[in-house]
Amino acid sequence: MIKTEIVSGKIEPFPSEDSHHNDGAELVFNGRVRSTENGETIRGLFYEHYEGMAEEELQSLAAGTAEKFPISDIFCRHRIGEIPVGESAIHVSIWSEHRAEGLEAMAWFISELKKRVPIWKWAVLENGTKIPSECRHELPTEK
Amino acid sequence: MKVIVKCFSQVRYHLGKDELVFHLEEGVTTSDLEEKVREQAGDLLEGVSLRVAVNQKYTPEAVELKDGDEVALIPPVQGG
Repeated sequence: MIKTEIVSGKIEPFPSEDSHHNDGAELVFNGRVRSTENGETIRGLFYEHYEGMAEEELQSLAAGTAEKFPISDIFCRHRIGEIPVGESAIHVSIWSEHRAEGLEAMAWFISELKKRVPIWKWAVLENGTKIPSECRHELPTEK
Repeated sequence: MKVIVKCFSQVRYHLGKDELVFHLEEGVTTSDLEEKVREQAGDLLEGVSLRVAVNQKYTPEAVELKDGDEVALIPPVQGG
């Protein structure tokens, strides 16, 4: 099964179940917000997305991952909006018969997501100013 | 013809707008439109690679635009 979602609230993890009798591996990845961005202390990250296209690309990527690797299920939730330090921005769960293909699928999925799903992060500074993450050292801190 | 450009991340930040509306002549391509947007930004988008999506699909090659198209100039994405 493939399930992807972009959500605006705190991410509820997919359940860890005992009912996958043919899967020996359950892989879970949580991408969490660090307290610094480009060396600066932040209070969180703000994720924006291209509504419609981001959902489509995420679903297509998950489907492509399930075709490329022999996995049983792939689930992904990506959060948007402001995410405080320490909380998850992304949660991925993959089930596979053996660990090797699951681990490979997870690495590929995350790596591809960072290339093609139109989602961007803004650093939220301690004073609340938001700036695109990549621009941190090129721009004034107030705008 | 009327074309809307959706702005995200660095494009939105530097242009100060969520979207731009262009009234273009027939035959204008995505590549021409990208040039116009970069001109509006002065040198602020210099060195920023942009991919183009038309009507929410990536278009690796320049394509001719049509009336009502929605174009996004997509800076490097940063999900995850």
